[in-house]
Parts: sequence; C-alpha cells; structure tokens
Amino acid sequence: MRRYSPRVFSVASRFFRQRSLVEEAAQEVFLKAYTQLGSFEGRGSFEGWLTRIATNTCLNMLRSSKRRPEFTVSDLTDDEESWLEQQPAGDGREHASVENSLVAADLADRLLAVLPPEDQQALLMIDGEEASIKEVAEVTGWSESKVKVRAFRARRKLREAMEKLLNHKERP
Amino acid sequence: MKDKHIIEILDNASIARLSEIELNEVQLHARDCASCRDAYEAARLSELVIKSRAQVTIEPSPFFQTRVLAALREQQAVESVPAMVRLWNSARALVASMAVTTAALAVLSFVLPAPAVAGDDQTVSAYSAESVILGQGSDELSYEQVLSTIYAEEDEAR
Repeated sequence: MRRYSPRVFSVASRFFRQRSLVEEAAQEVFLKAYTQLGSFEGRGSFEGWLTRIATNTCLNMLRSSKRRPEFTVSDLTDDEESWLEQQPAGDGREHASVENSLVAADLADRLLAVLPPEDQQALLMIDGEEASIKEVAEVTGWSESKVKVRAFRARRKLREAMEKLLNHKERP
Repeated sequence: MKDKHIIEILDNASIARLSEIELNEVQLHARDCASCRDAYEAARLSELVIKSRAQVTIEPSPFFQTRVLAALREQQAVESVPAMVRLWNSARALVASMAVTTAALAVLSFVLPAPAVAGDDQTVSAYSAESVILGQGSDELSYEQVLSTIYAEEDEAR
C-alpha cells in the first residue's frame, strides 16, 4: 500500500481538493483492489490496473455528488480577481508562480465544476498533466475518439467561461 | 492562416502542444482579430489554471495506512461469517417475535377454556310453537314432535 499510495493519491487529488474526500476515495480504491485482486490478470502493470480502479472510483464519487451551479463573475474571490489581473500577456507556455498556483488551482476547480466529471478528467490529464490521448484512453477505458471529443468539448467550455469572466472584469 | 479564425485550433489542442510555426500564426492572427484575441487570451489563462490545478497533490496522512488496514480487517471479518449466519443475525429479532405471537395464539386457542355464551339454555329447545305451526323451522319435523312441542308449551303456561 505504501508503494502505491502516491499514485492513488495523485489520481484522487485530480478529482478532489478536500483531504477528507481524497482519503475516502483512496481508501475505497485499496479496498476494491483487495477484493478484486483475483481479477487482475497480470497482462498490464499493477500500477496501471490500480490507476484504472482509482479513476473509476473517483468518477463515480464525483457523479454521485451534487453538481455546483454555473460559475459567475460575482463568485470570484479577491485573490482570484487579482490573479487574473496580474497575468501578463504571454505565449501560453508559462507556469503560474508557486504562491499564485493555489489561487489559480482554486479558480480552476470552480471553473471545472461546470463540466461533467468525465470532461474534467480528460482536460486535467491532457492539458494539465500533458498525458497523451492514448494514455487517457487506457486509464479510463474510453475509446481514443471519445477522449478527443471530451477534451475538445471541455477545452471550449472552459475557454468560453474564462472569456466571460474576462469580459465581465473589463466591463464591470 | 492569417485570415482564418483560430478558435477551432485553440479548442483542438492545448497551446503548449502547438508547434512554433502554429503558435506564431495563431498570435499573428490574434493581433488583428479582436474576437480571436479574446479567445486566445482566455485559452491561455484556462490552460494556466488547469496546469496549476494538476500540480496540486494531497499526500496521505500518517494514519491513512492504519485506517485502511482497519477497514480491510472489518471487511474480512464480515466476509468470514457464513451467509446463513449473517442472514440469521439480521432476521433473528423478526423470527423471535413471530414465534412468541404464534405461541400466544396457541395458548389462547387450546389451553384456556372457552367463555360461556349467554342464552345457551334457550338453544336446547330450538323449536317454538309458532315456528313449528307456521312451518318456519329449518328441519322437517315428525307429527309426534309437533304434538309434544305444543303440549309442552301448554303445560308450561298452566
């Protein structure tokens, strides 16, 4: 368990920010893995098998939780608003500084909440962790075209939500 | 490319995955097209927040392993009890209450004497003179029975 905890926690952290939820998901993953150990055929890596269990468990947890209402500009905290104002025009390949990354992560969570859990997962893996389409397909069990569609849809929705925020900010 | 809108390119792939040539073309177009400039800026910031979000990882607490092992032991303990025993444990109270009710009903039916019903004496002489004469009795009576009933009532009247 000690060996695979980092991987399981990394997957669960992609879905949840609250420690209690991450630990609840991780615990369920290990219990499921223990009971389903007989179904592991040894064809792929054990870590891959566990990652798949973790992904499905977290997706199910997220699906059963209530969806949050549409994000509006009035929901922006002062920190988030100043973070948006501070971002200089760049080439799109820069990273947020460490002190600002938590504010950005909070903003991401609130924006991602408008997407279905599957779309969130696809976008976080592809754009956030720079995973390939094939990798996402393997972990989720979806076809590659489904992954592409989900990522495309999620990227567009997120961009539109961000555009709305920026427009509101410029025209208060 | 300069005349074509770039919104679809932005939605198709992350900016980080665009080649240098593609990125230059996108930026060149965005400089002259206001709507694409907004879209590019929004896509850039979206990608930045997503990257920041992906970096957040929560580490397991020191007691996590102990908790999972305890949950595992609990699960094993539940699984080790045979199914019939588990069924009996959950249905025990219901079965016990049903048994008590059945026993109570049996005692009431067979052991305790039946209460005396008022008017039993009257049922002995089931036939009144009127019923016999008017033919309201349910059974067919013999001539002797009819006569004895009539005389008995006359004797009682006397």
